[in-house]
Amino acid sequence: MENKEKLFKEIFDTNSKKIFHLCYGYTGDEDSANDLLQETFLKVWQNLDKFRNKSLISTWIYRIAVNTCLTYLRSEKRQAKDELTDNIIENRPEEFSEKNEQVALLYKSIAKLEENDRLIITMVLDELPYHEIAEISGISEGNLRVRIHRIKSKLTELYNQHARI
Amino acid sequence: MQEFDHIQSLWQSHSVEVKISSEEMLAQSKKEVAGIRAKSRLNIIGMVASFATLVLLLLFAEFESWTTLAGLSIIVIVVAIYTFILYQDHKLIAQNDITEHPNAFLNKLKAYQLNKYTIYNKLYWVYMAALSVGVIFYFYEKLDYLSAIMQVVLVLFTIVWMILCATVFRKAYLKGEKERIDLLIEKFERISAQFQESH
Repeated sequence: MENKEKLFKEIFDTNSKKIFHLCYGYTGDEDSANDLLQETFLKVWQNLDKFRNKSLISTWIYRIAVNTCLTYLRSEKRQAKDELTDNIIENRPEEFSEKNEQVALLYKSIAKLEENDRLIITMVLDELPYHEIAEISGISEGNLRVRIHRIKSKLTELYNQHARI
Repeated sequence: MQEFDHIQSLWQSHSVEVKISSEEMLAQSKKEVAGIRAKSRLNIIGMVASFATLVLLLLFAEFESWTTLAGLSIIVIVVAIYTFILYQDHKLIAQNDITEHPNAFLNKLKAYQLNKYTIYNKLYWVYMAALSVGVIFYFYEKLDYLSAIMQVVLVLFTIVWMILCATVFRKAYLKGEKERIDLLIEKFERISAQFQESH
């Protein structure tokens, strides 16, 4: 038990930040991202003994997080993404700056993408290798490359659109 | 006009902070269940306190008519039975740890939810009926010592209080409890689902 806790702590400390960023990119809301982080790592804790070293543990955790994100928003019937991402600006007036405004625009643009695309692009933005993203999302690497190209263009377009407003 | 590289650097420059440690995260998961446990425990403690008070009354209060003794005895027995049933239900969620045995806990939580519904619906009416008989017997002698106004006030207060408990308070408690447990069940089902699908 002590070993499991030690291992879990190590896994949590190594991966939690990236998983939180993924969840934050997906929801655009800190509270929801925290809930998702908690659910993801609760699954990791409960199923740690089921992990077989066929893939990297980070890949396994990402896969859990992606599934958690996709089921979470559907079952929770969360509020529209626009409202959530607006909170990034509204909740932190003291931190308002040009850069923060750009970050908020970025999250707003990500929120306009389809659910699966949102998750894929956050992994791309975090520079995960393509073969890993393919394994996590269950898409062949060839198809993934095409899809990523399309999502990148779409996101850039959305960002520039928002920036002009 | 910005390019994707700019977007990527923006993403990477936005540092997020995880404000929770692994220990806190696990503790937080247990805390949600602990809230339901605490409420159930408090409910039982309240019933035990009522039971103790009634037993003391039964042992030390002075009364002349057998109806008072019968009334108090009925109330004591009814409260004892109801407390026992509540305790049996509480035991379902008292021992399991959601972080260690999620499926076992989920099943127990569902059983607890179902029992709660029976306890506060069908069984509650039996409890109220028996309690009313007990109170009527008890008042038969006791009201004789009071003035007419006090008699009316006491009887009215008892009736209103029992009606309030059976309607407004019972419904509000059941609704709140149901919403709380439903949310937890939904969450735990969601957490368990991914691994049930793949194993």
